[in-house]
Amino acid sequence: MQSFETPGSQSTPTIRANWEEGTLFMEGDSYPENSYEQFRPVFDWIEAFLSTTGRPLTLDLHLLYLNTSSIKAMMDIFDRLETAHANGQQVAVRWCYDRRNERVGELAEEFREDCTFPFRIEPSA
Amino acid sequence: MDPIDLFSLRERFNQTRIMLCFNGPMSRSLIEEIGNALKNYLTADQAHPSAAMDVFGVYIELTQNIRHYTHARAWSEQDAGATVVISREADGRYVICAGNLIEPQDGAAVCTLVDQLAGLDKAALKALYKEQLRKPRPDSSSGAGLGLIHVARTASAPLQASLHTLPDGRAFFSLRAVI
Repeated sequence: MQSFETPGSQSTPTIRANWEEGTLFMEGDSYPENSYEQFRPVFDWIEAFLSTTGRPLTLDLHLLYLNTSSIKAMMDIFDRLETAHANGQQVAVRWCYDRRNERVGELAEEFREDCTFPFRIEPSA
Repeated sequence: MDPIDLFSLRERFNQTRIMLCFNGPMSRSLIEEIGNALKNYLTADQAHPSAAMDVFGVYIELTQNIRHYTHARAWSEQDAGATVVISREADGRYVICAGNLIEPQDGAAVCTLVDQLAGLDKAALKALYKEQLRKPRPDSSSGAGLGLIHVARTASAPLQASLHTLPDGRAFFSLRAVI
């Protein structure tokens, strides 16, 4: 597995997965009709990283609007991180958002409710 | 049939504070383009970023629900159309109305769901939403449930649904969400 980068579009986020650093960056809106297709490579990359490297993984999120099928896909990702955490692997999420848009903060908070690994929600000034 | 009186149509739009409306076949790219126009209108209207995201989110869920439904039935482009109207109430609240052709039994089922959702408070809607989120992905189409619950959570008043039976045996379903 390697690093990969997917440029964002109006309805899909920019994605940068860095294998060396163990970081996954996602930024922008996500509302494709088929989120499953969109998130499949991300999920596969995370799965490969967690099951082969044993190194810490950090998600750096700057996501804004997510449609419900993207929310479902993100939940699958966080569930996978939760499993890794339960097995003693180091995983963390940082979700940054513009504090003027509290909906994004609320969205991140609802995900965090179901996670026990370090999950920081950072409103920008 | 009367010729279209564009002026009276315009008057009607203005009186009912319609910002944006659409009627016809709706492609994936058209949903995005209209969504983009909607975002621009909301910015120009100086909507609060949270309110703008609520309106945009409801628009996306409702139109994508229609696309999933009509796609699963493999209806013709014309039958697979949507009717969408986004307006503002006199008190400033945004209203999103979306409708589409539907099989009568599906229409009855979704109306029942809307009625059930109307009886739930925010906490109960959240619990139902989280429960639905954890259910396995529906194999085909509908996906419905989750999107509709999300819309009900976003709305500031209970959703209103209506169903009109058509001569050909199908029905027209419409949903109204106030933000």
